[in-house]
Amino acid sequence: MPNATRPPRWATRLLSWWSHPDTREDVQGDLLELYHYWVMTVGKRRADWRYCLNVLKLLRPLAKSKQAREYPPPFLLSPDMLRNYFTIAWRTLAHNKVYSLINVVGLSIGLAAAMLIMLYTKDEVSYDRFHANNPHIYRITNREFNPAGVQERVGTNTGYFQGPRFMAGVPEILSFVRYREQRLDMKRGNEVTSQPVFEADSNIFSVFSFPLLSGNPKTALKAPNSVVVSEDVAQREFGTTDVLGKIIYLKDSDYEDNSQFSPYIITGVSAKCPQNSSIKFDILKQLIVPQEAMADNNNWFNFFLNTFVLLNPNANLGKVEKQMNRIYVADARDAIKTMAQQFGMKNRMEYMLQPFTDMHLNKDLPPDNGLVDRSNPMYSYILTGIALFILIIACINFVNLTVARSLKRAKEIGIRKVVGGGRSQLTFQFLGESFLLCFAAFVFAVLLVLLVLPTFNQLANKALALSYLFDVKLVAGYIGLFLATGLLAGFYPALVLSSYDPVQTLYSRFKLSGRNYLQKSLVVLQFAIASFLIIGTLTIYSQFEYLTNKDLGYDDRHVIDVEKSRLNRNELKLLRDELLKNPNIVGVTPKNGGRWGTIAKINGETQQNFAYETIDPNFLPLFKIPIVQGRNFSADLRTDSTQAVLVNETFVKKAGWKNPIGQVVDFWYNENEKYRVVGVVKDHHYASLSEEIGPQLFTMKPTNPYGKFFVKIKPGTETASLRHLEKTFKRLFPIMPYSYTFLDESNRSKYEAEAKWKQIMLFGAILTIFISCIGLFGLATLSAERRTKEIGIRKVLGASVSSLVQLLSSDFLKLVGFSFVFAFPAAWYAIDAWLQNYPYRIDISAWTFVVAAVMAIAIALLTVSFQSIRAALSNPIKSLRTE
Amino acid sequence: MKRAFLGEFEEVVMLTVAILDEEAYGVTVTQEIEQKTGRSVGFSTVHTTLQRLEEKGFLASRMGGATAERGGRRKRFFTVTAAGRKALRDVKQVREELWRSLPPQTLQLITG
Repeated sequence: MPNATRPPRWATRLLSWWSHPDTREDVQGDLLELYHYWVMTVGKRRADWRYCLNVLKLLRPLAKSKQAREYPPPFLLSPDMLRNYFTIAWRTLAHNKVYSLINVVGLSIGLAAAMLIMLYTKDEVSYDRFHANNPHIYRITNREFNPAGVQERVGTNTGYFQGPRFMAGVPEILSFVRYREQRLDMKRGNEVTSQPVFEADSNIFSVFSFPLLSGNPKTALKAPNSVVVSEDVAQREFGTTDVLGKIIYLKDSDYEDNSQFSPYIITGVSAKCPQNSSIKFDILKQLIVPQEAMADNNNWFNFFLNTFVLLNPNANLGKVEKQMNRIYVADARDAIKTMAQQFGMKNRMEYMLQPFTDMHLNKDLPPDNGLVDRSNPMYSYILTGIALFILIIACINFVNLTVARSLKRAKEIGIRKVVGGGRSQLTFQFLGESFLLCFAAFVFAVLLVLLVLPTFNQLANKALALSYLFDVKLVAGYIGLFLATGLLAGFYPALVLSSYDPVQTLYSRFKLSGRNYLQKSLVVLQFAIASFLIIGTLTIYSQFEYLTNKDLGYDDRHVIDVEKSRLNRNELKLLRDELLKNPNIVGVTPKNGGRWGTIAKINGETQQNFAYETIDPNFLPLFKIPIVQGRNFSADLRTDSTQAVLVNETFVKKAGWKNPIGQVVDFWYNENEKYRVVGVVKDHHYASLSEEIGPQLFTMKPTNPYGKFFVKIKPGTETASLRHLEKTFKRLFPIMPYSYTFLDESNRSKYEAEAKWKQIMLFGAILTIFISCIGLFGLATLSAERRTKEIGIRKVLGASVSSLVQLLSSDFLKLVGFSFVFAFPAAWYAIDAWLQNYPYRIDISAWTFVVAAVMAIAIALLTVSFQSIRAALSNPIKSLRTE
Repeated sequence: MKRAFLGEFEEVVMLTVAILDEEAYGVTVTQEIEQKTGRSVGFSTVHTTLQRLEEKGFLASRMGGATAERGGRRKRFFTVTAAGRKALRDVKQVREELWRSLPPQTLQLITG
C-alpha cells in the first residue's frame, strides 16, 4: 500500500491500544475502509482529520472485554498443563543427554563454588561478632605523628598503663581488659613442654562472652594462682573435663633465670573458643602487674599487650578518644619529656579506639600479640571474584545452550501458540524448566560442597563445618542464589523462545535471528574470564617459584634451628664442645631469639633504625655470608665484643658512608656506648622476601642474651645428628623445652600463604576453563548438528575433511582470539597491582600472555575440533537422505 | 404493554441496517445514512449507536468478510433481530396513530 494513503500512525496506534477490546478488530477495519473512501472523496488532509477525530471519539481506555468475563482463559497453573510441562521438560532433557549434562554439571559447579565462597566470607565477616557486648568493645590503638605532622606509624599494642588510667579519667569507659600471650614452660611429671599461656585481667569473662563449662566466671581469675583451662587441655592433661581444683605447674616467667615452677589451681573450664574468634586461649591466667611497674611513669611507653575497653552504649566515640588523649598528655607529661631527652623521641603519639569486630580483616591494625587469625580482605575479594566468574560462566553456558537449542523447539513453540498457548504461559514454561534444571544443579551443588569442604578448609586455612551450612541467613542466601541463578539463566531464553512467531516456525524452516551477537559476545566474555585466570595463575606460579628459589644470600641447607631462651656464653661453649664431638656436626652458632631492632646515632647526630643481631664469630662463615669489606669478628680479639660491630651493605648505603671501616655507631642512650665498624657484610634476606632488606647491624655485646642456636650438619646425616642433638640438649638443659626446625623448611613455610593461593587460583582457573569448555563443546555440537546438510553437500561436492574442520572450528576460534583483547589489559592491570605487594618480584613478561593465549586457543581448539572432526567424518549419505 | 423506546437516530440506523440487509456494517451504514438523509454523520456516532442497539437486543452481529482494503480485518455485520423488528413496528405504529389523529385542517397545513 503506498504511504500516501495511510492514516496517521499515531492515531492507528492509539486505536490499537485503547479502543474497546471487543470491537477493536471491526472498528479498525471500518475506519481504514472509510479512510480510503474519504481520501478519494474529500482528499487526504480532510480524511486524516476525520480519521483522527473518529479515533479519538472511539477511545475507551478503561473498557474491559466482556467476552473475557464470560470465557476466562484457562488457569495458568492447571494441573494438566503442569503435568504436560513436566513431561515435556523431562523428555527434552532425556532426549539431549549431553546438553542436559553440560547444563547441570556446569551450573552445579558454579553454584558449589558460590556456596563455598559464601561460607568463607560469612565466616570472615562473622569474626568476633558473637560477644554479647558488641558493638561496644573497642581495642586501644595508637598512631605516631612526626614533628611535621605526618603520620608515621600505627600501633595496635598498649602497656600496663593505658587501660586503668583511661578508665579512671573517662566515665564512658565501663571496664578494661588487658590481654597478652606468653610462652611458659609447663611441667607434668618429668616432662616439660613449652605452652602458650594467656594472661588477662580477671574481668575478661564479663566483657567477653566465653562461656565456662564449670567454675564461676566472676571469680575464676580473681586469685593470682588460679587458672582457667579449655576443655581440650583438660581432656589432654587429665582425661576428663571435671578438673576443678586440680593443679598444673607453670614456670612463672620465661625471662628470669631463677624462675621456678609453681602450682596453679584450675578454677574454671572454658568451652573451646569459637572458630571465628580472634581470642583463642587454652590456658588463661591472671595478668599480674608488679607494683613497681605501675609506679614507673615511663611505662606509658612500654607496649607489649592488647587493651580492650567496654564503652557505655551511649558514649560518643570521638569524645572518648579526645578525653583519652587529654589524660595521656597530662598524665604522661614527665615520661614524654624523658623519652624526648633520652631517646630523642620527637614524635607525637595519639590514642584511638578500634571496634573489636574490625580487627580481623584490618590490614593496618591487625590482631596480633596473642590475638590470632589475621586475614587479608583481599583474599575474600579474590575468592568472591573467582566464584562469581565461575557462576557467570555457568549461567552463560545455560543461556547460550538453551537459546541455541531452542531452534529445535521452535516447532513445539509454534504448535503451543496455535492451540492457544499464551506468551505468559510459554514464559512460565521455559522459566519453569530453567528452575527445574537449576534445582537439580542445586542439589548436586550441595552434595559437591559436602564433598570438597575438607579440602577447601585445608586450602583456605579454615575450620568450616557442615553445621555452618544450616544457618538461617546462609540458607536464605542460598535460596536467593538459587532464585537469582534460575532467573538469570532462564530469563533470556524464556523471553526469546516465547516471542517466536508461530507462522514462521511452522511454515518454513526457522532461522535463528541473524548473526546472534548475544551468543558470540557471551562466548567472548567466557574466554576473556578464562584467559584472565590463566594469566593470573601463571603469574602467581612464577612469583611463587621466584620467592622459593631466589638466592637468599646465605646457605640455609642442612641447618637445624633450635630454640633455647637465655643461652649464656658458658652454656654455649659447653654446648658447642659437646655437639662437635659428633663428626656429623659441622658447626654451631648462636643468635638472639626473635627479631630485634633498635636505633643508634651515626655521622654524629643522624639517627638510624636497624635490625640488631647478636651473633658470634662463627655465624657468618656457617651461613656462608661473605664479608665485602674489612673483617669478620674474631674470637681472639677481646675488644671485638665490646667495641666492634659489623653492618650490612644497606646500612652503609643508608648512612652514606664512602669509607665504612672505622665509622662510629653511637648508642647514646646506653651510657654513650660507642662502637666502630670493622667489616661490611653482604646483603642477605634475613627476613621473608615480602620484606625489603633493611639496614642490619651485628654485635657480640656480652650482655645481649642469645635465644637460639643453629647447628650445621653434614648432608645425609639428619637422623644421627638429630639424635645426638636431642640427647645433648636434654642432658645439658634438662628442664628446658626442646624443639627444632630445619631452616630451609621453615624458610619455605614463610610462603605458605602464597602456596595456598597458588592452589586456589589453580583450582579456580581449571574450573573456569572446564566450564567454558563444556559450554563451547555444547555450542559446537549444536552448530555441527545445524549444519549437517551443509556439510553433507560440501562433502559430496568434494570438500576435504581438514577444510570442513577448519570451517566448523574457525568461527569459535575467532571468538576466543577476540576475547584476548579484553582479557589481556585487565589481566595486566590486575597482576601488576598484585605484584606491587612484593618488594622482590618477577617482571611481567610477554611470555605469560603468549603462553596463556596458546593455552586458551589450544584448549578451545581441542574442544571444538572433537565435534568438528566427527561432523566432517560423517557419511554424507546419512545426512542428505532424509528430509 | 410497555413499548421499547427508540431514539430518532437509533431508528434511522436500524432502518438503514434493515435496508442494507446482508451488507450492513459500520462503513456501509454510515455511507447509506449520509446518502439517504443527506446529513453528515460521524462514524463514531454510528458505531456507538450500533453497539447500543446490539446491547438492547435489537441488532445481532456476526464477524466475517475480511478484505485487503481493511488490512485483513473482518467486518461486523449487523442484522435486525425479532425484537428489533417489533420495536421498529411499534415506533411506526405510534407515529401512524399520531398522524391519523391530526385534525384535517392541520394536516393540510403541514403537507401543503
